[in-house]
Amino acid sequence: MSTLVFVEHNGDELCRGPLGVLAKAGELDDDVAAVLVGGIEVKALASEVGTFGAATVHVAEGDVFTQPLAQPRIDVLAHVVREGGYDTVLFSNSVLAADIAGGLAARLDAGLNWDLVDIVRSDGAVVGKRPALSDSLLVDVGWRSTPRLALMRAGSFPAVEKGGQAQVHDVSVELASHSRAATVVDRVVQADSGPSLEGAPAIVTGGMGLGAPEHFSLAEDLAEVLGGVVGATRAVVYAGWRPHSAQIGQTGKTVAPKLYVALGVSGAVQHKVGMQNSETIVAINKDPRAPIFEFCDLAVVADVHTIVPELLELLRRRRS
Amino acid sequence: MARPADYPPPFRASAFVAEPTDPVDARIEVGMLVVGAGPAGLACAIRFGQLLEEDPETAATLGDVPLAVAEQGRHPGSRLLSGVIVRPRAIRRLFGDRVRIEDIPGYGPVPAESVYVMTRTRALPIPPPPPMRNHGNFIFSLSRLGRWLGEQAEDAGAMVLPETSARTLLVSDGAVVGVRTGDKGRGPEGEELRNFEPGSDIVAGITVLAEGTQGHLTGVALDHFGLRPDRPQVWELAVKEVWTVPTPLRRIIHTMGWPLRSAAKYREFGGSFIYPMGDDMLTIGMVVGLDYRDSQLSVHDLLQEFKTHPKIRALLQGGERVEWGAKTIPSGGFHSLPKRLHAPGLLLCGDGAGMVNIPTLKGVDYAIESGRLAAESAFASLKGGRPLSSYDDAVGSSFISKDLYEVRDMRQAFGHGFFMGGALASAMTVSKGRVSIAKMASEADDQQPLIHTDRAARYPVPDGALTFDKLSSVFASGNKTRDDQPNHIVLERRVPPDVAEMWVHLCPAQVYEAGPVGDDGLVSVQMAPSNCVQCGAISAKGGRLTPPEGGSGPEYSLT
Repeated sequence: MSTLVFVEHNGDELCRGPLGVLAKAGELDDDVAAVLVGGIEVKALASEVGTFGAATVHVAEGDVFTQPLAQPRIDVLAHVVREGGYDTVLFSNSVLAADIAGGLAARLDAGLNWDLVDIVRSDGAVVGKRPALSDSLLVDVGWRSTPRLALMRAGSFPAVEKGGQAQVHDVSVELASHSRAATVVDRVVQADSGPSLEGAPAIVTGGMGLGAPEHFSLAEDLAEVLGGVVGATRAVVYAGWRPHSAQIGQTGKTVAPKLYVALGVSGAVQHKVGMQNSETIVAINKDPRAPIFEFCDLAVVADVHTIVPELLELLRRRRS
Repeated sequence: MARPADYPPPFRASAFVAEPTDPVDARIEVGMLVVGAGPAGLACAIRFGQLLEEDPETAATLGDVPLAVAEQGRHPGSRLLSGVIVRPRAIRRLFGDRVRIEDIPGYGPVPAESVYVMTRTRALPIPPPPPMRNHGNFIFSLSRLGRWLGEQAEDAGAMVLPETSARTLLVSDGAVVGVRTGDKGRGPEGEELRNFEPGSDIVAGITVLAEGTQGHLTGVALDHFGLRPDRPQVWELAVKEVWTVPTPLRRIIHTMGWPLRSAAKYREFGGSFIYPMGDDMLTIGMVVGLDYRDSQLSVHDLLQEFKTHPKIRALLQGGERVEWGAKTIPSGGFHSLPKRLHAPGLLLCGDGAGMVNIPTLKGVDYAIESGRLAAESAFASLKGGRPLSSYDDAVGSSFISKDLYEVRDMRQAFGHGFFMGGALASAMTVSKGRVSIAKMASEADDQQPLIHTDRAARYPVPDGALTFDKLSSVFASGNKTRDDQPNHIVLERRVPPDVAEMWVHLCPAQVYEAGPVGDDGLVSVQMAPSNCVQCGAISAKGGRLTPPEGGSGPEYSLT
């Protein structure tokens, strides 16, 4: 087996998703290779790819790769796969990676399994694990031929710094004329107000159990003391108490902070899937039957309006 | 006593009829456009594709895209939900000897069947009444069947446009000339977000509406062209679950009776179905007529209650629920078919036109047959200018009309209560429709005055293993609709408390919540429209669904 991982980056920094996939690839294969494609100076990132587990890094560098377009990258990958004889190509899902994986599958007439959360060897065969039916089941999927292409669900594997050194190979590819046809006309960034939920070390989320929008000050004060930010449930957003950008859950943000404090949150499954990977979950709710008590680490059956002010006082005293 | 019809939604069909507005070179031009990738629409596309292949000269006159299918869901099948037992005749007619029914992904022929009358603790077997006999029929998942039909339609040359909602009927000089698709990327107040994409005009020689139950543009077209039947359409609501089970079920089961109440004043017409799906799965569902009166009737909770019956619980023992969904079924039958199934440039098919046989619980074969006949009329019209009325003639002489005529009054018979209605219904079937009670009045579902009997007190508290709440069920439908889009449900927001209470219980997806009673004796209705699984019940009971952003809604795979 010879495995190739497509490593995406944002110009100056490697993305975490594909580095996790590199770690996974290292479990399948001793000798993992990576592909890095980008504008001038992307090569500077190649040694870092090596420290995360790639023995070989194929680098395609040039102005034509500055824009995040799929077609030129498909040309590069098709070339590297053919020349290097790789039989397995792994991607970490993103808008760009999904485009490339689909295009590469068509170009190489290869099979692509997508939305995988794991990939293993079983009796000599390579088997992908794909969630089905709203993630309630895992389905085994396979490939009928090589190369096998796989798009892994983002965030499925943690990146592991191994400290290795990679051999760097320059790739030069003649781009097909159609690969130069698309250009990027404009790039806009969706404005998100307030501090980012995704990167916050602590999140204090308020639910309808807070009773009224003005009671969100409890969540705000607690977040401030804990050095975190405030999140909201969907019901709260629908009621107009908080903006949609604060919503955590299936149709909002997916978060995994070190500490997640849920105030008056019932814990519907739609909320759970957006925060269940948090390291420590503390739930305060006066309804002992609230579903959140089934998956939190610390369950506090109490009225948030009484206990949070006491908790705040305690924390502030300890801080000072 | 309040009636939902007294609080109509602020909806005007005329707001969804327009001339094309895109510049001519920006319009998407197709030969025939099918709206809806269900059994009717896909059968229509498949038949049309066969005709294109047989007649390349005509095909060449229909432009670059002779055949397109617009589908609101993520892919064909993602919005489809039914029992379902299918009579194979329409599939055989559509494919001839190209496909054997045994080769279509499904769960094989019906092995055996049982019918029970339920009481709270017992299940009394009765011989299957004639309309419920299913020997020779096949078990399918309609969602899976739709996925397969979608592949056949694409192979036949159809361009399938997923995540495309057909929002406005394009009408020019009195004729339908296509549809305008819905915008994408609007915020809750209709404002354009960063990823805003306007809809487009899809201009077609002939437009076939095969939107299924409570079709949005079908409703618009019925109003615009004056095609509504004299006897209004009525609906039933089905809620069903798919379970993996350790013990295979080797027969299909239908039940009547408990937990529905049999006294005529309640108007609780319905029953349950349990069908095997291979050796390790089964589907279980509850169907109730929406002409019910109790403001606390909830079909979802009745299904949960039903599963607690000792005989039913035993079937699910050791199993796990893997999917859930809900959908309405048009049940007015023959008397509620549109006055005509065509208008200039337009054909109506399948459930959208009300082609369902309630006593036999069949509709898929009518949908497929009507789609096939619509394709033939559309092709003849595009080729040689044959009038579209040929479609009405073809349906009129098909098994669709014959079957629906035979059972035309059976639905009304049940208004007399379960036992009397059952006897009348039997007499109608045995006499092949010669016994009739055609003079009975029939009211629309939203005309029923509401009553209050504390019905909700009987529903079980969900345990998350056998019985489930509505919100976790919405999750099991695969629904992950973007929350910050415009509300697609049109509803009177200030209503009497019992109307609001009826909506709260009616909706299987927990979209509605009632606020406190105000000084005027009315309450405000709060909504979470992204929960909506577009079952259509609200449109029968006093509201009106319009299409949400393309791709929103449930994503069924086994229902």
